[in-house]
Amino acid sequence: MKKKELLIITILLAISLGGIALFYGLNATDQPLSVRVSRAGEVLATLPLSQEYSETFKDASGTNTLVISNGQARMTEADCPDQICVKARGISSPGETIVCLPHKLIVEIVTGDK
Amino acid sequence: MDSKSYRLVILSLYIAMALILSYVESFIPLPVPIPGVKLGLPNIITLISLITLGWPLTILVVVGRVLLSGFMFGNLSSISFALAGGLLSLLVMALLLHFSKNSYSLIIISIFGAIAHNLGQVLVAVVIVQTGNLILYFLFLMLFAIPTGIFIGITARELLRLLNKTTIFKRLNP
Repeated sequence: MKKKELLIITILLAISLGGIALFYGLNATDQPLSVRVSRAGEVLATLPLSQEYSETFKDASGTNTLVISNGQARMTEADCPDQICVKARGISSPGETIVCLPHKLIVEIVTGDK
Repeated sequence: MDSKSYRLVILSLYIAMALILSYVESFIPLPVPIPGVKLGLPNIITLISLITLGWPLTILVVVGRVLLSGFMFGNLSSISFALAGGLLSLLVMALLLHFSKNSYSLIIISIFGAIAHNLGQVLVAVVIVQTGNLILYFLFLMLFAIPTGIFIGITARELLRLLNKTTIFKRLNP
């Protein structure tokens, strides 16, 4: 690899790693966290991250089961073909998301209890 | 065979190979906790097509591959995603190639193509779920686009070097 290529690769790595670090840094908080579930921009539920909880969200496009346990939110079941939201790792820090595109569903960690 | 039909044959071969590669790719699991990270094997063909056939015909390679694989293994929403990613990626790679005409680096073009592919898909996702909260997801995708982009770029460069020793491309630009 040439010098110029290495330089560009290093800059791109710095941008993405720096961006990720900055994102977590800016969003770090001592406040209680909540899990917000929305479909196509409409908020369906806001749930405390600290409680054990499980709910299945259902509409014409299909179902998604959200489980909150040990301060982590996961999608444990979905009837979509790609299963991308089920494979996604659990989320626990503000700003992290799980998206189920076929069902237009997004699960986000937000700051505050409402 | 005249030059026009020869180009058509090469174009069809590219689409067929890109289609197979996108199918093969779905069997390769990457040890990465971020959903949606892929190697981008079809981009090897896109890169080679860009250099040997030029961008107008490469649009056909990308659209043809996306539509065929969408109809065979996917659905309408997966087509819109793949199309947004594929075309934005092609636009960025064609511009990079255009502005670095004689000293282009396939590795750099491939990395930027991979990042643009992710950007296109995230933008469609932003429209579908109506959220602006996917920046972190995009940054993670971008991070993994760098090693996969390097791998695809090196593969395309070496493949092109070998193919240039044959007479396959000689008849494309007489």
